[in-house]
Amino acid sequence: MTTEKGSASAADEPMVVDDFVALTYHDRLPPETVRFADGLIAGRIIGQRCPQCRRVYVGGKGFCAMCVVVMGPESEIDVADVGVVTGYTIITPVRYYGQTKTEPFVYASVLLDGASSVLGGQEITGIAIDAVREGLRVRAVWKPPEARNYEGHSTRGWGSLAGGIVGFEWTGEPDVPREQYKEFAV
Amino acid sequence: MPADDIAIVGWGQTPSVASTDLTEPQLCLAAVNDALAMANIDRHAIGFTCSGSCDYLSGGPFVFISNLEAAGAWPPISESHVEMDGAWALYEAWVRIQHGDIDFALVYGSGKSSPSDPALLFPQQLDPYYLEPLGLDPASLMGMQARALLDSGTATERDFAAVAARSRRAGAANPKAQTLPNGAGESDLDIDALLAAPYVRAPLRAHDLAPAADGAAAVVLATPAKARELTDHPVFIRGIDHRLEPHQPGVRDLADSPSTRLAAQKAGLGANGGGVGVAELYATSSAQELILRAALGLGPDVSVNPSGGALCSDPVMATGLVRIIEAAQRVADGTTRRAVAHAVNGQVLQHNLVCVLEGER
Repeated sequence: MTTEKGSASAADEPMVVDDFVALTYHDRLPPETVRFADGLIAGRIIGQRCPQCRRVYVGGKGFCAMCVVVMGPESEIDVADVGVVTGYTIITPVRYYGQTKTEPFVYASVLLDGASSVLGGQEITGIAIDAVREGLRVRAVWKPPEARNYEGHSTRGWGSLAGGIVGFEWTGEPDVPREQYKEFAV
Repeated sequence: MPADDIAIVGWGQTPSVASTDLTEPQLCLAAVNDALAMANIDRHAIGFTCSGSCDYLSGGPFVFISNLEAAGAWPPISESHVEMDGAWALYEAWVRIQHGDIDFALVYGSGKSSPSDPALLFPQQLDPYYLEPLGLDPASLMGMQARALLDSGTATERDFAAVAARSRRAGAANPKAQTLPNGAGESDLDIDALLAAPYVRAPLRAHDLAPAADGAAAVVLATPAKARELTDHPVFIRGIDHRLEPHQPGVRDLADSPSTRLAAQKAGLGANGGGVGVAELYATSSAQELILRAALGLGPDVSVNPSGGALCSDPVMATGLVRIIEAAQRVADGTTRRAVAHAVNGQVLQHNLVCVLEGER
């Protein structure tokens, strides 16, 4: 609160009260996420297969949202760390607090072999960004075992690979025909 | 036009626990699937879905959208959400089913209070100029309300302890209720022992205050015709109404609940408790139960909170819907032919809902 010389009486002064609000939340990771995270640290990508429709979710939520049935540990299978780019965008970084990128980069959706759900927001390396395309065969680039951790996991989303995988690189193989992944193309 | 007597044909509730590592959608899914199984209908028969929850509790943005996966939102469904207790979601679904073009409605309420501190969170519900900066938490407001009730001369601290003892004794027999320390112990049931406990917010002690919990509950509503196809003993909603008082607690008589009284009148409860055998009341303090009993005109012959009530388990955002479920259960199993359920939103009984349930035997 500031008072200027020559102003009206104190009663006329606006009083400004700062009221800063901070709310702190303590999350517990759901059991599916803990198993998924431990899998990445061990070099495995765990999917959950719906007992009804047989869809395989990578970063399973503990239930199939289509069939509304529970998927527990018995539903879990290993999914390959190779797959196909089903969609992508090229992001030109703008400067904002926390942005570390300065050059354009790719955010791609990757459908792993054996999975029925895509992993969004994956970085693609090993190929010029203007050559990235739908149908590109890619494989996971794993962190060294000693660098793997619980990074990226929360109750705010599912399927972060950040604890074990830094991104995907082109395998050099021929492109996958669209027919084989069009159901999942986004 | 008089309202149709919509029936409650299925319900489910998760056990209430102080903290679970399951996500809120997982809690909702368990409750919804139990309710659908009890109703014995396919989820695709549901014509309208309504849910009640509050993202601030768990701090997750758009958790109420994630929760919708528990309802099975494919093929696309007709749905709505209220940032209120699930009892208000039931009210909206009850209105919707009155339109006459659907057979069934699904309702659920859910909340995870464990990730946050209610004492820090709930002051944000108050006006941001005079009350929120004080950090006025729900327990403090309930303490002031309890003090007002004592000062009115209609209740004593021993009456508060008697409510807590009765609630804990009942809750100990409810597998869905939290296991509270000394919940079933004889010494805790001794009212003198309860009165020897320290105040949390005078004149209230820990056992006088509802313990926030994680949990979810779900209900299936049906038209009268469909209800009679599904069950020989349908539970009908004979009346439901909710009324709101001013936001500012300072302008209200906290020792009374005129909005509960009016909602009960509009819901057709009738004088002197309207002949109900069971009342399930969402009281978050022992003093509030006494205030609600008076507002509803419940006599000593009415069984109040046979489930243990919110003083044993308060899965915030589901607790009011749980009251309707517990009352419906007592009608369905023949404990009573007529019951009343009450739900609350806001601080110190600001907004009250009254639901009158009846069976045919």
